[in-house]
Amino acid sequence: MARADTLARARTLDRPELAYLVRFPTPEGIRDMELTWAELARDTDWATARLRDHGLAAGQRALLTTSGFEGFWGHAVIGALRTLKVTYGIAEAMGWDHRRTAVFHRELDPHAVIGLSAETVEGLAGAADVGEMFRTTPVVLARPAAVPVLRGVGVSAALIATVGPALALECPERGGAHVNAAEWRVGARDGQLSVAAGEARTSVLPETPLGIPGRVITSRCACGSEDPRVLFAEANQPTSSRS
Amino acid sequence: MAGDRDTADRYFEPKVETMARDLLRARQEERVVELVEYAYANSAFYRALWDEHGVHPRDVRTLDDFRDRIPFITKDMVRAHRARTGDPFGGLLCVPTEELTSVSSSSGTTGDPEFFAEIWEGAPPLVTAQVRDLWELGLRPGDRVLSPPGTFRNLMDAGFQALGAVVIEVDTWMGNMPEVVEALRTYRPAYLQMMYPQMVELEHLAGTTDLKEAFSSLKGASCAGQPLSRKMRERIREDWGIDVYEYTSAADTGTAWECREHDGFHLWEDTVFAECVEVDEHGWRDAAEGDLGELVATDLDNRAAPLIRYRSEDLVRLSRDRCGCGRTHARMWVAGRRGDETLVQGRSVVLRDIWQAVEDQPETVAGVFQIVRAGREVGELRLRVGYDPRLTGDVDALAGRLGEAVRERTGVKPVLDMRTEEDLLKTMTSVAKFPRVVKS
Repeated sequence: MARADTLARARTLDRPELAYLVRFPTPEGIRDMELTWAELARDTDWATARLRDHGLAAGQRALLTTSGFEGFWGHAVIGALRTLKVTYGIAEAMGWDHRRTAVFHRELDPHAVIGLSAETVEGLAGAADVGEMFRTTPVVLARPAAVPVLRGVGVSAALIATVGPALALECPERGGAHVNAAEWRVGARDGQLSVAAGEARTSVLPETPLGIPGRVITSRCACGSEDPRVLFAEANQPTSSRS
Repeated sequence: MAGDRDTADRYFEPKVETMARDLLRARQEERVVELVEYAYANSAFYRALWDEHGVHPRDVRTLDDFRDRIPFITKDMVRAHRARTGDPFGGLLCVPTEELTSVSSSSGTTGDPEFFAEIWEGAPPLVTAQVRDLWELGLRPGDRVLSPPGTFRNLMDAGFQALGAVVIEVDTWMGNMPEVVEALRTYRPAYLQMMYPQMVELEHLAGTTDLKEAFSSLKGASCAGQPLSRKMRERIREDWGIDVYEYTSAADTGTAWECREHDGFHLWEDTVFAECVEVDEHGWRDAAEGDLGELVATDLDNRAAPLIRYRSEDLVRLSRDRCGCGRTHARMWVAGRRGDETLVQGRSVVLRDIWQAVEDQPETVAGVFQIVRAGREVGELRLRVGYDPRLTGDVDALAGRLGEAVRERTGVKPVLDMRTEEDLLKTMTSVAKFPRVVKS
């Protein structure tokens, strides 16, 4: 097959160890950090375990809403879905493209929707009852600003977010989004989250304030995980107080 | 113009890319015969359609049989099957849904997005078929690329990474061009995917930013979604110093890119069997080589949901002559979309003429415009045109000049609805396409 032959030829290339340069905002400006293939593989394994905790399994369908510049975690989540043999649909996370999310949701009836943004939810709300739409979707992993909106209409949304270059994923206990302790150190100072790279990471990242309001819980989660959990202030705001 | 480029190592798969045409045809024939059998056995849509036409796979043993017997399909036929059966894949699917790796979708500019069923290992199909094109552009292991703006045809990173490129995560969508310019200066990437709205925004930055310096690390940039006008292309190449490679859809079977010769879009004919035909109420015939016809495509490398003799509605000229780059795969030149022509009280108006008139006004040089019409035949030419507010003192005066310019080019005085470029671009429903013809 033509494409398989192309990829076979590509595998003969002398490729670098680096997959991504991840950029993330901080109060001091944009920071960047290298992401190697080995690290991406470990991130994928971790995401696979978290999605398996949500009951994702072979034969199911998922909808991933993500943007082109979010590959550093999108790649890991796609890798996880592939490992779990879950077929995924993909739509933009940008609010104006909400119709694509609606069509995928209507036609594919996904078991999980991953990465819902507040902008997408807002767009969908203009033409549909968002609560009715997602209440029957077994797994909804939404971004921080979308979580209170969804929970406000009865959707039991869990959280997916980035903490700088790290991915945070809430387990079904919904007691804060887990961050992989083997790879990252997360903390909070004066109500603002920070992140540092663990020793296993190739790229050095000392403790870096992110300017994201939130706090960190370090006690063992009811799911049994020892990973720290991040509580985003934005995700826990009552809907009415959001602008 | 461009950054360093290895010109001695031009072909990624030299044997395939420069294959003699008789060998290419033999490979296509073998694949088409297999495909017909496979689709008949596994696709509800094709089995029903071919049964209705009295066609059976045993009747198709050659490419000539295939062309004689297998009927065309259209997007509307697939949509009708979808509406009738509730099957989101319109009956095209040849495998159980669980076997799919992913589902991406079309731009959705003319209705609900259509699904593309995908099965893949190393990288999604669309970007995998672009690896040869990216190699031709000059992308090599270790090069850096900026992440593309959209994901509706899947996350493209794996294709760049298959070539050993490192993806720099930058939001390259509309509204972020100052950040993109900063990233270009910081990371010195070799490649950047561009879309039309980005060009418009960059044009606004050009007065205050040295874009030529910012873009100087690029070996090339690609541009898709709609053709660049002559003026815009010159601007990008001459003033911004970018070797820009346009690409277009290969009738939803993949993409077709320009090579460094910039003389037509190459179809990868080991992935698609392409026909250029004239269709009317009496039947169809091949368009003469070099004459305008409709592109009809058959997927040769898609076991999920292959398109077979799919009428694309793209009006193209097709040539199978060897290109100056040495490749033997066919090239096409796109003239427009079937149905984009508008008849205003019987007078034919084509997009190209309006575009030229719009671009000739300094305030609307970016060419942001749409024809608003309920059907192909209309009583008046309604145009929605985007202007740059920083360059526009008197919108009414601009409308007067523009209306006259359109009348001179088309013979029709338009009814103009003037908006800012930003307002008009915000009406896009996909990162890939700014619709030129809209219903309202």
